Amino acid sequence: MATKKLAFIVRSLPYKTEASRLALTHAIASQTVEIYLNDGDLVEASVSYVGDGVLNCLKGQQGMKHYGITTIEGHAKNSLLLDMRVLICKEDLDKFGLTEDNILMDAEDIGGETKANVVSYGEIQKEMDAATHILVC
Amino acid sequence: MKLAVLMSDYRNGIDMIDRLSAESLGIILVGNGVYHAAVKEGGKTSSLLDKKANFYALTEDFETRGITAANLDSRVKAVNYGDVVDIIFNDYEKVVWI
Repeated sequence: MATKKLAFIVRSLPYKTEASRLALTHAIASQTVEIYLNDGDLVEASVSYVGDGVLNCLKGQQGMKHYGITTIEGHAKNSLLLDMRVLICKEDLDKFGLTEDNILMDAEDIGGETKANVVSYGEIQKEMDAATHILVC
Repeated sequence: MKLAVLMSDYRNGIDMIDRLSAESLGIILVGNGVYHAAVKEGGKTSSLLDKKANFYALTEDFETRGITAANLDSRVKAVNYGDVVDIIFNDYEKVVWI
């Protein structure tokens, strides 16, 4: 029995490229891979936002209204709905003058119980140390 | 020369804009360029906004990213796609995309 830990590190800005969206898509999709694993083996994914990547977490994104696309915000809510571990770098939020009021912290409106965690970069470093695979997007 | 610049990046391109010389310069922030209009790093607004230019930000793109018109720097005017077309055709002779 083994657990493979995947640490997705989102550092890119949203929308211009698909990188940050793909991080979420792959992290969420990783939960379905267990049907291909041996009994007892597990895959655990986490998503951490660092640097410019924290701007993916801004509340009130209106991609659906303007371009008919699912927002990164909506994608991130889905990850919380699946109880995924979501970390947001506090130092980088501070750099941009953002607080928890400005960013997506939960998915309560769609029934999610897990909350995002604003943590120091040191905690994100620990997440990477503990991961089997690190995927920077 | 009256020059309009469509700026679609946040981390790259300011060096190019710094070297552009125009009698009248309009900088239209689109895509990830809209972060120049609203984001402050370390409490400072983007150095791009210190250029002598008219600044516009595309509403569709900043609202997509969770930014509201109220978040924009006072030097930046919110515009929609129709406005951008008017600006390009009526106010400037040439257009570049960075």
